[in-house]
Amino acid sequence: MISNKAPIQPALSKVATSHISRLLTPTDVIIVSFNAHWSLTQSPDSHSLWPCLSVLRPELLDDILREKPQEADGIDSVVVVDNVPQVGPERLEKLKNVIHKIFSKFGKITTEFYPEADGMTKGYIFLEYASPNQALEAVKNADGYKLDKQHTFRVNLFTDFDKYMNISDEWETPEKQPFKDFGNMRHWIEDPDCRDQYSVIYEAGERTAIFSNDAKEPITVEERARWTETYVRWSPKGTYLATFHQRGIALWGGEKFKQIQRFSHQGVSLIDFSPCERYVVTFSPLMDTKEDPQAIIIWDILTGQKKRGFHCESSAHWPIFKWSHDGKFFARMTPDTLSIYETPSMGLLDKKSLKITGIKDFSWSPGDNIIAFWVPEDKDIPARVTLMQMPSRQEIRVRNLFNVVDCKLHWQKNGDYLCVKVDRTPKGTQVYGEGGVLNLFISRVNLTCCFLLTESIIAFAWEPNGSKFAVLHGESPRINASFYHVKNNGKIEPTLICMYVHQHCCMSCVQCLYVFFSVCSMNGALAFVDTSDCTMMNIAEHYMASDVEWDPTGRYVVTSVSWWSHKVDNAYWLWTFQGRLLQKNNKDRFCQLLWRPRPPTLLSVEQIKMIKKDLKKYSKIFEQKDRLSQSKASKELVDKRRAMMEEYRRYREAALQNYHEQKSIRLELRGGVDTDELDSNVDDWEEETIEFFINEEIIPLGDL
Amino acid sequence: MKPILLQGHERSITQIKYNREGDLLFSVAKDTVANVWYSVNGERLGTYNGHTGAVWCWLLYLVVSCWWTYWGGPVGYGTSDGFVNVHVAFTGKQLALLHTNSAVRTCGFDFSGNIIMFSTDKQMGYQCYLNFFDLRDPQQISDNQPYLSIPCSEQKITSAVWGPLGEFVIAGHENGEFNQFSAKSGEVLKKAKEHTKQINDIQTSLDLTMFISASKDNTAKLFDCTSLDHIKTFKTERPVNSAAISPIMDHVVMGGGQEAMEVTTTSTRIGKFEARFFHAAYEEEFGRVKGHFGPINCVAFHPDGKSYSSGGEDGYVRIHYFDPQYFDFELEA
Repeated sequence: MISNKAPIQPALSKVATSHISRLLTPTDVIIVSFNAHWSLTQSPDSHSLWPCLSVLRPELLDDILREKPQEADGIDSVVVVDNVPQVGPERLEKLKNVIHKIFSKFGKITTEFYPEADGMTKGYIFLEYASPNQALEAVKNADGYKLDKQHTFRVNLFTDFDKYMNISDEWETPEKQPFKDFGNMRHWIEDPDCRDQYSVIYEAGERTAIFSNDAKEPITVEERARWTETYVRWSPKGTYLATFHQRGIALWGGEKFKQIQRFSHQGVSLIDFSPCERYVVTFSPLMDTKEDPQAIIIWDILTGQKKRGFHCESSAHWPIFKWSHDGKFFARMTPDTLSIYETPSMGLLDKKSLKITGIKDFSWSPGDNIIAFWVPEDKDIPARVTLMQMPSRQEIRVRNLFNVVDCKLHWQKNGDYLCVKVDRTPKGTQVYGEGGVLNLFISRVNLTCCFLLTESIIAFAWEPNGSKFAVLHGESPRINASFYHVKNNGKIEPTLICMYVHQHCCMSCVQCLYVFFSVCSMNGALAFVDTSDCTMMNIAEHYMASDVEWDPTGRYVVTSVSWWSHKVDNAYWLWTFQGRLLQKNNKDRFCQLLWRPRPPTLLSVEQIKMIKKDLKKYSKIFEQKDRLSQSKASKELVDKRRAMMEEYRRYREAALQNYHEQKSIRLELRGGVDTDELDSNVDDWEEETIEFFINEEIIPLGDL
Repeated sequence: MKPILLQGHERSITQIKYNREGDLLFSVAKDTVANVWYSVNGERLGTYNGHTGAVWCWLLYLVVSCWWTYWGGPVGYGTSDGFVNVHVAFTGKQLALLHTNSAVRTCGFDFSGNIIMFSTDKQMGYQCYLNFFDLRDPQQISDNQPYLSIPCSEQKITSAVWGPLGEFVIAGHENGEFNQFSAKSGEVLKKAKEHTKQINDIQTSLDLTMFISASKDNTAKLFDCTSLDHIKTFKTERPVNSAAISPIMDHVVMGGGQEAMEVTTTSTRIGKFEARFFHAAYEEEFGRVKGHFGPINCVAFHPDGKSYSSGGEDGYVRIHYFDPQYFDFELEA
């Protein structure tokens, strides 16, 4: 039986020979099957060896069989071109030339085939490219190519034909998707200690983590590598965390941050949630075509469906679409028009846009369906700010303004007030205005007030819940911060609360619950001001700080140095609202910190009032709790240190014992001189006198 | 704590060492000289003019490292122009001059003071070698032929010290790896890789039982000399150039800062050029000493543990005598 081995070998390919011994060693059955396929192995074509081998013992030949050529290999590189002119043999050569010229642009054509019937070509051809990528390229670019008036090429992949042939003609109603329970989407609010969460991106975007904020140290909730490719966003009520990927957006939420929804949008770079968390708007600079608007897509978060696509016509500031507070409307501004759409139909409100010549900026009220917009001066017509009720399109307030360079619309968070910051030109000259004007509107009451500041205004901010606002004004390096209170007693007169002089303050941003912050060009100076009695609570500094983020409760503030702006000392620091530094968290290549927003409280106004009244009662409980956790923490730290010390001591004792045992060897190595102690060979010492240089300075005393 | 400022170098300090008794402080810098100082008051005792011939003196611009025996005896230092000088410490008399092909990065005497070890840089087509000369054998010196030469061409040696009893050399490599090379056979006895970037400095404790490594990966780590077991880690935000273990307290001192080539002219604050003190057992920082206006390149404890010195990129050596509070200070435990 063994003699059969010799004639088989020459026919086997090189790879196969190495396995022959393996085939033969288990003796019996295998050899018999070799004989049965003897004729096949004699064939000069090495391919014909494959059927033979596969019959043998597939499990033994697994690694060879994997290399077996497939029938469909190369099929991906074939394209089918339709609507090719039908020509006779005399013009075939010319056609081939033309086709070759058009299609060889996308890659090397390895085979071409022109089916014929009755001496005429059939009007479609097959082309094979060197690689499937080239075929794809040809489909992408040559499909729809106009050869002449009658002939427009339709180019398809050969494999696509297969795919579409298999689709049945009958309509199948899509299966109902089972309802997926993601658990409690607002799990984090149920935390017994009411800790807020925040997301942190670090290691230059490699890692993303969610932490629970705690005064002692952050508690890790979730940490993942490469969770997002660029940055993350929280939805306005904190339910979802959006991560960015090349292919689209993913939303995460629930207790364990499971994936809840995916929106496929190639190259997405910006997103915006509707305030009601029902819709999300995504923007991608890549995927816009004339027929199918795909630059901006509005998605339904709950179903994951694409609701509508838009073109990105003008490169305006993001968000291009601004949402009304309840998510019922969204609007975009294009030159001279304001288009308002309604949900859920995603159609234009009343089927037509608003025509507003020269519209510069608009803004929704955060409290009502009121839209505010402003129009600059046009020759004799003064600039004006308009408040318009939606959807009735009724103008409720209009105010004319003069000598306007620029306007900024600042709504107070509840929508009670609108402040229009106006930069004015001094009369006659067209330079940037030296004075700033604040126009206050009270949207619900029919009042406006104009308030003039003599210096240019750098930044403006409203208190989140209330009627105070802060203004940074002046010229660098002398910049003042002023706090004002709007009285609501029939006439609104902002009364100056206090004023501070801030030097070297270049770029500033104001936060106004109790505290304001200023980012200076090189050193992040922070000032914590209590606006109720105007005391400067603390002045601190986070060197190089680039960002400031308040937590949703206003009790903590985080300043951070992002890797995106500076490459060193990337860290975020946590402060209390009084300006006490709680933590310095150094994270390697820290990029971004975002607080998880909270949904609005469910308590009624009365309930909140009651809580405020009983605050003393509650504060006792909290203080006790704090003391407990503090003593626990210090005990933990002491215990940890003790354990570390214990371990270290144990190591040192062992090392020293070993050291003492080696004393005789050391003595031998140094010729009997004991050098273990500093003064062990005092006899060799020489005494030396050393001078100390002391400065002498005579200061004559004057008349006493 | 008022420092004594030593101004004896024109370029950045590369290494400082105390002798065994601690009365002398030796410093080398990227300029041509090696200085010896009285540690008690900072008076200069003398300068080694390593090279006398004017012919190749101009080549000598970088004294990369030096090592001084702990017990009197000879003194050696390596230079970038490819020489290792062996002197008598106090008189400055040259005992031996060894020639190498490329710059000498680290060198050291074994415990007995008889064997000199030095590593050469991978440079100008020459490989990185770890060479061993036995000074008792005049033949080796005159022939300039080491009794043992270990090639380390893949990863250059950036720092090396002798282990206890002179049995092996612990070498730190530019990839953050440690190797224990036997001084007799040259074979690798043990390996460890705890650092991710280049090891800038290795210093042993006074009793030679453990060593601390300073790395570009912003950490310093404590190891056992014999077993190469990792014991402790000390983290900072900047590359660590040098670290030393206190002989009397459970403390370590680390020096470093933003790399010289990355330092901007805007502010010294961002560079973090402070010497930083960590508790050896708790791995916690408890103190900083400001002063240098460039990165600290080397730190060293006085053998009695009552003072320490640092040498910086700014060319100054600063001797600091600790205040009494330092010795009373205890972290709560």
